[in-house]
Amino acid sequence: MMGVVEGGWGFVAAAYVVTAAVLGAYATTVFLRYRTEKDRAAAKAERETGA
Amino acid sequence: MKEPSQSRAPQAAVALGVGLLLAGSYWGLAKAPGEIFMGDVQRIMYVHVPTAWNAMLALTFAFVCALSFLFTNAWKWDNRLEAAMEIGVVLSLLLCMQGAIWAKPTWGVWWDWDPRLTTTAVMVFAFGGILALRAFVDDPVKRAVWSAVACIVAFADVPIVYFSVKWWNSLHQAQSTPQTVSKAFHWPLRINAFGILFLWTGLVALRARVAALRLRNEVAPPLPERAPDTAGAPALGGAR
Repeated sequence: MMGVVEGGWGFVAAAYVVTAAVLGAYATTVFLRYRTEKDRAAAKAERETGA
Repeated sequence: MKEPSQSRAPQAAVALGVGLLLAGSYWGLAKAPGEIFMGDVQRIMYVHVPTAWNAMLALTFAFVCALSFLFTNAWKWDNRLEAAMEIGVVLSLLLCMQGAIWAKPTWGVWWDWDPRLTTTAVMVFAFGGILALRAFVDDPVKRAVWSAVACIVAFADVPIVYFSVKWWNSLHQAQSTPQTVSKAFHWPLRINAFGILFLWTGLVALRARVAALRLRNEVAPPLPERAPDTAGAPALGGAR
């Protein structure tokens, strides 16, 4: 039919996959950085109390 | 400076956001009808439009944090500024990728230098540049003041992005609001909008804690609650 986009499920799937990948990857880096900084702060506190 | 909070509320907000996004996306992909002209391709709207709203909201929050830092000198606002700008840039980049995927089947091109797309690209590079600037400045006081001022300047582009489709002839469609979108599409759009909202607010809270912990590590104790007066004041001792 003229003027109507037909099909396109591949583009829809790509948009949702990209969204999940970007948000998932960013959330993972935030959680990992938070854990790393908490561990570093705990190690520093332990060194200071031990010194 | 106070210890960063240990509350689990940000993790709960992230979990709630993911749950809402899954529900809204299922509704948008499986339950909502296709659009009369764009057919199934229009289902990209359920992630693209909420991403656009939330990118602008996150950068507006960054602007509020920048003003709050300059007025109060409180470190917590600098930590939140860094966090909000970072998620704002991630959402804006994601917005450009989703837009390109939607543009190809509807406009026939992945990208066009149309006012909405161009101003969005400027927004990504402006805020991305400020994040890069932060990485190059070692002095925490200068870093906080410079990035707050730069954020306020860069924020001028955010309303231009929003109104660009009204002010200029644009290939991009008008803003998607309840008045311009069919009722059949409202619920998945709203659910995903709240999903991304909960997700980024939770991530901003966690990312601000990361910034606070790094700052404590960077600066010799005791770290004051507020940055010293920036006019001629010496930098905090022991930076990096």
